[in-house]
Amino acid sequence: MSAQGGTTRDDTALQAAGVRRRQGRGVSNLAMRGLQLLLALVVLGLWELGGRAGLIDQFFFPLPSDIFATVWTWVSSGYVFPHLWVTMQESVLAFVIGAALGLFLGFLLARVRFLDRLFDPFLQMFNALPRVVLAPIFLLWFGLGIWSKVAFGVTLVFFIVFFNTLEGVKGVDRVLVDNARMLGAKESHLLRHVFVPSALTWIFSSLHISVGFAITGAVVGEYLGASAGVGYAIAQAQGVFDTRGVFAGMFILMVVVLVVDVLVNRLERYLLRWRPAR
Amino acid sequence: MSTTTPPDRRGDAAPEPALVWRGCTKTFETPGGGSYDAVRDIDLVVPAGRFVSIVGPTGSGKSTILNMAAGLLEASSGEVESFGAPVRGVNRRASYMFQQDALLPWKTVLDNVALGLTFAGVDTREAHDRARVWLERVGLKAFTDRYPHQLSGGMRKRTAIAQAWIVDPDILLMDEPFSALDVQTRQIMENELLNLWSGSGKAAVFITHDLDEAIALSDEVVILGAGPGSTVVATYEIDIPRPRDLLEIRDDPAFIDLHREIWGRLKQEVERTYAAQNERESA
Repeated sequence: MSAQGGTTRDDTALQAAGVRRRQGRGVSNLAMRGLQLLLALVVLGLWELGGRAGLIDQFFFPLPSDIFATVWTWVSSGYVFPHLWVTMQESVLAFVIGAALGLFLGFLLARVRFLDRLFDPFLQMFNALPRVVLAPIFLLWFGLGIWSKVAFGVTLVFFIVFFNTLEGVKGVDRVLVDNARMLGAKESHLLRHVFVPSALTWIFSSLHISVGFAITGAVVGEYLGASAGVGYAIAQAQGVFDTRGVFAGMFILMVVVLVVDVLVNRLERYLLRWRPAR
Repeated sequence: MSTTTPPDRRGDAAPEPALVWRGCTKTFETPGGGSYDAVRDIDLVVPAGRFVSIVGPTGSGKSTILNMAAGLLEASSGEVESFGAPVRGVNRRASYMFQQDALLPWKTVLDNVALGLTFAGVDTREAHDRARVWLERVGLKAFTDRYPHQLSGGMRKRTAIAQAWIVDPDILLMDEPFSALDVQTRQIMENELLNLWSGSGKAAVFITHDLDEAIALSDEVVILGAGPGSTVVATYEIDIPRPRDLLEIRDDPAFIDLHREIWGRLKQEVERTYAAQNERESA
């Protein structure tokens, strides 16, 4: 009886939310997409016309049509793919290593109060350091290959995952822990069934940022000194004052990051499916 | 017997009470460096198979008493014994139902109910089979694959009951488990709890601030005095015959008489609590 009551209440709540959403939106999804496309075309069109009329300097702001032509050349000739491949390798390695280190140290410090207090000032110091200044020293330590970029990306990813893990484990609801202990959970059970899932929610919520940072680390590292990668391709174009190439590199990176973001969204929705919709 | 039964279990004939508090005092430190006694010199016995409710005004340390029996809190002085053995660490003979939601939000209803068995090392298939039996018993057969947030408050409480009962504890500790529910759902849940409990032989300690609920469910009602430093001020035997129908019991003349008598005593403590509160606020 109360079960039915509950379902009815939920249904009403859902319907109410649906009504609110429809009212709030005003314009349908499809129409909004059309408007967004129109806005993009207008901006690009004005840019193109301004450039052709001489109002915008084509050297600093190359025509959109020229940028797309360069993108097409890079893609159709296959020039960009080896560079993309290197950048992706560096990003994935930076993410995996940084996340693993962050998770490990986060759990350790959250469960061992002594270590937390011991390490705290040092971690704060390293976190306060603007990470870009590490790139030159990593270049000297690890050379021009992918490992200097990976190391750079790791320093970016690590701190995000670390602090989120620390907060996630410390912030576990006391009642959940007490309940699990009353049901007979040992420390290893608590870790596996309570602390890890709780910390993972924090880490997944920061997944967009940490994945973005992994890519940022790779590209910035390549820009400062490399022999391959999208950042290197952009630096090369800049070196010969080829602004079209710089913009083309930016555009390709943008598309790649968007695709990665969509994939991360899918993954997040699957892994956090137990969470109430926001 | 289930695999969760601890090895130190005594013979069934042992007349040891399920829980005994012997002069238990719990002192908490305040952030300002001082300290205060939440409860003082608690002496209480809960025999096996008996349903005892603890009622008291706000801040009378009801949860503290329960947490000492659960082994989640250690008494500052005095000792809690469970079936003759002192409680050290978590009380393995007891299950606990919390006031707040204590289901793991990332586990399905089925996995949540099976949790105690999983911790005890029962293999997943058997744990799930036994969890399904319990879910059917509490009327949630159709909701096994849901996550807690997809259930209504009453359904979450049923899941919590199944979770606490599946490990077949000898003692049920309940800390205002139904206080967050609406009045109708609450009465239904009380009835279902009583149906499960009757004939189970389990001792139950039920914390509530609702005297109606305490009388309707219990064999014995314990009244705590105003806090801080509260202690047991009175106990009342509830001799209303079982089985009881909780949806009708509030009209029973015996219920009304008991309620009048116990409320007369409880009211003094509630008034003292409010008087102390007003004094603090005006100070």
